[in-house]
Amino acid sequence: MAQVMFDRRIQTETPAEPAAEKKIALAVQGLSKWFGADQILDDVSFSIAEGESLVLLGPSGSGKSTTLRLIAGLDTPDSGEIYLHGRHVEHLRARERNVGVIFQQYALFPRMTVADNIGFGLRIRGVKRKARKAKVEELLSLIGMNDHRDKYPSHISGGQQQRVAIARALAYEPELLLFDESFSALDPQTRVALRREIRNLLPKLKIPALFITHDQDEAMELGDQIAILNKGRLEQVGTPQEVYNEPQTEFVASFLGSANVIEVCKNDGIVALDCRQCAESPRAHLWDALERTRILFRPEDVILGPAPGLAEEHPHLGQGVVLDVSFTGAAEVLRVKLPRMTRFGYSAVVDCPLIGENAPAQANDQACDLIIKVLRTKWDAQALPLRRDDKVGVWLRDHRILSAYEN
Amino acid sequence: MGTATHNRILPGRRADVVRPLGISFILMAMMPLVLLPLASIFFYGFSKGPVHFWQALVTPAAWFSLKLSLITSSIATSCNVVFGLIAAYVMSKYDFKGSSALMILISLPTAIPTAVAGVALLLVWGRSGMLGGLLEYTDYQVMFTTAAIILANIFVTFPLAFGVMKPAFDNLDRSFEDAAETMGATRWQTFRFVVLPSLRGAIITGALLTFARSIGEFGSTIMVSGNKAMKTQTAPLYIYAKFNEGDVEGANAIAAVLAILSFAIFSLIIFTQKRLEK
Repeated sequence: MAQVMFDRRIQTETPAEPAAEKKIALAVQGLSKWFGADQILDDVSFSIAEGESLVLLGPSGSGKSTTLRLIAGLDTPDSGEIYLHGRHVEHLRARERNVGVIFQQYALFPRMTVADNIGFGLRIRGVKRKARKAKVEELLSLIGMNDHRDKYPSHISGGQQQRVAIARALAYEPELLLFDESFSALDPQTRVALRREIRNLLPKLKIPALFITHDQDEAMELGDQIAILNKGRLEQVGTPQEVYNEPQTEFVASFLGSANVIEVCKNDGIVALDCRQCAESPRAHLWDALERTRILFRPEDVILGPAPGLAEEHPHLGQGVVLDVSFTGAAEVLRVKLPRMTRFGYSAVVDCPLIGENAPAQANDQACDLIIKVLRTKWDAQALPLRRDDKVGVWLRDHRILSAYEN
Repeated sequence: MGTATHNRILPGRRADVVRPLGISFILMAMMPLVLLPLASIFFYGFSKGPVHFWQALVTPAAWFSLKLSLITSSIATSCNVVFGLIAAYVMSKYDFKGSSALMILISLPTAIPTAVAGVALLLVWGRSGMLGGLLEYTDYQVMFTTAAIILANIFVTFPLAFGVMKPAFDNLDRSFEDAAETMGATRWQTFRFVVLPSLRGAIITGALLTFARSIGEFGSTIMVSGNKAMKTQTAPLYIYAKFNEGDVEGANAIAAVLAILSFAIFSLIIFTQKRLEK
């Protein structure tokens, strides 16, 4: 008998996951969804570990709300699987999934008091009045709203409504919490405060959470992992540090923080901002095979030095002219115009924006002014004060070659 | 609220002439159309004094017709609240093939003369009608009974109940239902605890409108009821019969009661909308 039990335990404890990895709470595999002829989601896969949070970040229309609805069971996917704690759920109705959803406008029931809203999930589960009341009181204390139990949703503030929505979802102890743009309806101060509260609350609750947002600050703060969605495709999943510091695509880079993307040339494994360096490589005769690629650097990755000069170990972008300087308090943001460059000239930049002041010069339609954004700390700004029209050398402290070259 | 303070003429501002002119226009237009005819009902009803009015009201036939109208209208209203709710829920929630055609079909009775509606019911439920033919073999008869009056009322007033409830369903935020469902509620629980309470204003308004309309229903009732005094004669039919007999006071006594009832119902509707639709 003991032997049998032992065996069973071994069996249940050896699913495919390696021991070091955390238990997966939610796994989404190859999710696709069409609305008529439009593909809203294209083969989306990600997972959330037990007790962790993931933020699905993307612009409007990227399919993030659809993903949430599919996981909640409010829509059915055209293909793909959803697992909740290893349980296959996409054939289950929303009410059978035991998932808590905090809706964008909270969707508190208008004809029910705060306490009735929180107790609703227990009421329909047939929990006795007394037990229900105890749980509701406990949750009211958790969200600090004991004094508001008999108020109607229309009589409390947006921030309070959000707390009630969270308490309401927590009441029936869901396996997963889903937040659908739950902070967008709040004023900026409340938003930041509530975000922090939830960030601190989640580890205590030990309930995995999925957030949907288009706000990168929110994503950075709330996500143990961030998944970036663009036009129904998942571009990258990683920790906030990973997606910010090592963006895999141009979209990820520019959506998360600001980024300068310029085109450079690559030959024989050498990446050069100045194409003459490529030409000096042993395979210079293969000039035609010269590959163009894009590099990305953040505004804070740029070093501005007195022109000319500065360290040789950093890639040099040439000499630029300061277009304007704006002071933001903690930092200084500059726009620097790099000299006109052609593909085979000074440098290989042909990333010509086509509008406004960035429009290509008439003389040479391959040439254009390249304008980059630079961020300096106030200390750097004090060490080398710069004003409009100042000439300055431009170096890169860091840059990334974009692996996915998109046009 | 806000508009009231806004409309108040502030000192130093030119008086708003549209307001008094507009209100006078409405009253002027209503004079010959509504106010004078209504007043004349009361005038002729009471022309021989209140005692005579009361006696005209409590004649067995008059009293019976009033009771019959109230009962048949109540039953028809209850049915239409249920039917209207189901139809409005389905039509608002689901978009299916032919849903537009069904919408037209549901609203159709509004444009059909009620007498024609009566004839149509006769053709179906009468002795030689499609369904009436089936009843031939039983002892049961639908036409020229109270059931026929109720049937006619349901038929004629259904678009009213539906018309009030459908927009209420359309305006209902879908996320309430989504929220209830994710919290574990079945469809019935969602409907019972979330949807229905949000619609109580529309339900009460719809019911009152239906009731008001069916209590005054004449055209279809006269076709299908048989108009037998003390048996199938509703209040409007009684009024018609009394006029034909030349008993204007007797007719007006009941008419006055119906007018007061209608006034009460619409006061309630306005009260409901102000109180519950907030």
